[in-house]
Formats: sequence, structure tokens, C-alpha cells
Amino acid sequence: MTDLNESLVASGAVDQPTLTDEAFEKEQGIKSLEIERRLERRRGLLQRAQQQGLALVLVIVVCIMWASSPYFMNKYNLLTAASVVSILGIMAVTETLLVIAAEIDISIGGVMALVSVVVGLLVSHGVNIWLAAIMSLIAAVVVGAINGIITVYFKINSLVTTLGTFSITTGLAYVLSGTSTVQIQGSGFGFLGSGYIASIPSTVYFFVGVWLVGAFVARFTTLGRHIYATGDNVEAADRSGIRPNRIRMGLFVVNSLAAGFAGLIVTSELVSSAPQIGDPYLLAVVTAVILGGASLTGGRGRLSGTLLAVAILGVVQNGFALLEFSSYMQNLVTGCLLILAVLVDQFVRRAER
Amino acid sequence: MSDFSIPLLEARNITKSYGNVAALTGINFKLFSGEIVGLVGDNGAGKSTLVKTLCGAHQPSDGQLFIEGQEVSFSSPKESRERGIEVVYQDLALANELSVAENIFLGREMRRMGLMGRVGMIDRKAMHSSAIATLESLSIEITSVETRCGMMSGGQRQAVAVARAIMWGSKVLLLDEPTAALAVAESDKIAGLVAGVKEKGVGVILVSHNLPQVHELCDRVVVLLRGRVVTELHRGEYSIDDLVSWITGAALHKK
Repeated sequence: MTDLNESLVASGAVDQPTLTDEAFEKEQGIKSLEIERRLERRRGLLQRAQQQGLALVLVIVVCIMWASSPYFMNKYNLLTAASVVSILGIMAVTETLLVIAAEIDISIGGVMALVSVVVGLLVSHGVNIWLAAIMSLIAAVVVGAINGIITVYFKINSLVTTLGTFSITTGLAYVLSGTSTVQIQGSGFGFLGSGYIASIPSTVYFFVGVWLVGAFVARFTTLGRHIYATGDNVEAADRSGIRPNRIRMGLFVVNSLAAGFAGLIVTSELVSSAPQIGDPYLLAVVTAVILGGASLTGGRGRLSGTLLAVAILGVVQNGFALLEFSSYMQNLVTGCLLILAVLVDQFVRRAER
Repeated sequence: MSDFSIPLLEARNITKSYGNVAALTGINFKLFSGEIVGLVGDNGAGKSTLVKTLCGAHQPSDGQLFIEGQEVSFSSPKESRERGIEVVYQDLALANELSVAENIFLGREMRRMGLMGRVGMIDRKAMHSSAIATLESLSIEITSVETRCGMMSGGQRQAVAVARAIMWGSKVLLLDEPTAALAVAESDKIAGLVAGVKEKGVGVILVSHNLPQVHELCDRVVVLLRGRVVTELHRGEYSIDDLVSWITGAALHKK
């Protein structure tokens, strides 16, 4: 090596390195490895802190509500709160997966409305309620497929695509229903939205079921790895033989299906179909997802975070209702939480570099 | 593996021209199993055009490509990858949020046995131990296979990409300036890694400006000048001075 260096220097092919001592290089190498290890530990801590921060916020809001209303810690109140927030939670699970894949779907409110109205229309024409429900879910799947095709194959930003389909589905719901509501009852359809098993509301079971499946997929399956890779680095995903387009397409459909299912639950709960049922869920779902730590740039997010965020929103929602604050006040607080969450996320990212 | 009569990769009379400008003219090039071939030349000599042609990113205007004696034509890098040619770029295609093991197995995850495997449950333990074994067999040092790739240094990421290519059974590894952006210690590690890859019977094409490294590592060096192969130098038969004079074209004038 040394005579090689000499010949090089003599030939003028390379500048002489100031320090080529192997021991020095080795020392440098060890040092850099050590620094990296320390950095890794710090980054790991930061990420955990982000999750724990969310848990802390949950504890704080629970304490505040507990202190300010004697009815809050009541078993029935908590079950009601859980039941209400579960509908949002179902959609937040699939939306989280979509956001991890670096896409977003804001058409869910419209899909809920469309599904509700389609069920009402079919039932008023004498179609069996369960058949009507299945057909309305097919409508939801079609909307999801359209979202997917336009976004994935025509390469349109999903925010734009789903803003469009949100407008279309909402408009369609109003056109089809003429703003009137249709009574929907019978054949046990009421169980979807207001049934109980072992004195726990049915919606809670649905949410827990969807969440468990979603968390299992994200954490433990090949599909989960592929979803993360798709959102993280599409080129890497594509090179690895994953088909990112198919994954994104599938997620749009599943997300729309979840919104459709949520639409059915609300319809069942209200015992009637109505075109405005999706309105309160429009931003709440996206708020839950982002508050939960999923990053809009993709590749990052956990369903445990989404679960915590859903719980926080549920407590705030319920507590404000108990304290007889207006729903506008609630919007104000969720908005603040959302912006705070994004700021914390930014901070963590910057600290990682 | 030891069949040296048929080259792993052969280019015959490869020509690539853009309009009237010839970027490559009549390139003949062979790569055998377990061989490291250096590809050197000044800027604009046609190195990267040749690499892109070999991996299918560019289509040659004329000439033929053979893999293990079979004529092939690639319309995209995807097709060449399917035939066992892997390019490890400077900016690697790794998913930063995924761990080392997850990246190595991306698209080829190991699954659990039985029902859980059927529903797609990954076998994290098996993937980890397999990834560790691969990394160890290539003497790649990383803190843990659970480390996220985004947290690692350029050299480590490069090493992971090479390990992945090896694990997936690539026969030809194209390394385009693998050490250009690395610290000295890391650069030496990659050099060691390339030597380890050779031991596994993989053919390596090393495009590099680091002449001492090329001199030390490569069994053969192909020198490009203005889109032509001007010479092929064999290990031990040339000095770095010779290499420099071939690259600059001075050797041609001497004759």
C-alpha cells in the first residue's frame, strides 16, 4: 500500500492524503460508529416520546373532564362516548393505512352520505334492507375504485381527486334524496348502530375488530411492509417487485368501503337515511390520523397512535357535550390539537437529522 | 460458477449514438463469474452510458448483449434485474423508514409456517437471523438489523444494498461510483465488501474514479476513451501511471 501511494504521488495522479495512517482511519471508523449509535438511541427516544406524549395528552384530557363533570366517569357515559367515537375510529384505521402509503382520501364524508341515501332509496322501493345495504356498499367500492384509478393511473394528487369525488358523492346524495329523509327499520338492521352485546355497544366491537385487523396487517404482515415501503420510497418498492400501484389502489377501495360501512352504521343509528350524515366526520377522521402521528409524506404512522388520537377526540367530544359547550368550541380545540401534533412531528423530524 | 468458458455477461460491438454523436462505438466487453472488472475513463468517455446500456436503462443502437451465452435485449432495468443484473446506485433504492432486515427482504419477506403465514404474517425472527447471516458472510458491520435505514451512514446503506443484491442471487453487480461520497474508512469497507462478493462467484463491474482502489481490487480494467475501449489491462501487468496515461490518451500517442 505504501509503495503504491508513493508511486501515485510521484505520478501526480492523486494528491497526497495528509493522514493515511491506518490506525488513524480505524480510530475514525470506531468513533463514527459510536456517534451513530448514540444518534440512533436519541432518535429512538424521540420517537417513543412522541407516542408517549399522545398518551399523556389523553391522560390530561381525561383528568380535566373527570374533574369538571361528575357524569364523565360514569360507565354508561363512557360506553356512549366509545360508541360515538367508534364510527370515526373505523374510518381512521383505513385512512391511517392510506396515509402511510402517502395518499389521502377526503371523500369519506361524501361516501357515507351516498351510502345512506342509496339504502334509503332502495328500501323505499321495496328492496330488502340487507340487500340494499350490500348494494350501497358496492357503490362505496366503486367510488373507492374511481379514487384509486384517477390517483394512481392518471397520477393526480389524491387530495385533488378525493376533493372532487367528495363533491360529486355529496352532490349525488342530495340529488338522489332531494334532502328528504327515509325511515329505515326492521330485519335487525338497527343492531348495526344501536345494538348491544354484553352491554357494550355494537359499534365498539366493529371498531375494535377493524382496528385489530388493521394493526395486525400494518405490524405483522408482508402487506404491511409493502404499504410502508410504498409510502416511503415508491421507487424502492417498485424495484423490489412490490406493486405499489396495486397497493394504493386496494387501499383506496378498502378506505371507501370502511366509509360506506360507517355510513350504514350511522343510518342504522338514526333509523333513517339522510344526505348530511357525513358532515361531522369529514375532518375528524383526518385529524385523528394526523394527531396519531401518521405523516402525510408517507412511510410513517402507527395504528396505536391512531387509537390514542381517536380516544382523545372521543373524550374531548364527550366532555364538551357534558359541559354543554357548543360544538364550535370543540372544533376549536381539535384544531389546536391537530396543529400541535404537526408541530411536534416537525420538531421530531428535524431533531433526527 | 467455475465455468470460465462462457462469460456471465458479454457485450459485442455495442454502439450507442444520439443523432450524429456516437457515445459508444463498437464496445466489446466480457465479464466472467467471480471476476471484478474495473471500468474507468475520463468524464464523458462513455462509462455511464455503457452502464446504462448494460442494465437496460438505455437501448443500444447496434450490437448484442449476452447473458451466460444467451442473447438478451432489455427494454428496462426491471428486465435486466430479472436476469440477475443488479445496479447499486449512489443514491440507493432503500426505504428509509424500514429496518435493515425489512429492506433486505423487501418484496420477498419470509412468512411464518402454517395458518398465520397463509394470512401473510411475517417471520421476523427468521428474517433477522437470515439477514444477520448474510451481512456477516460479507463482513458488513452494522449496529443492528433492526436499525432504520434512514439512520445509517452512506457507506452502511451502500453495504445493505449490496447485501440485498447478493441475497437475491444477482449474478452481475454493477457498482456505479460506490465510494465517491464516502469517508475513507467507509470506502475501504466497501472495497472489502466487493472482494467478498467476488468470492461468492458474482461478477462485479466497478465504475470508479478511485484509481488506487481500482488497481487494488480489479482483476481486469477496461479503459474507455471517447466512447471506445482503448485497452484492457490485467492485474499485475500495469501500474497506476500506465492507467493514468491510458485514461488521458497519452499512451496512444507514445505508440
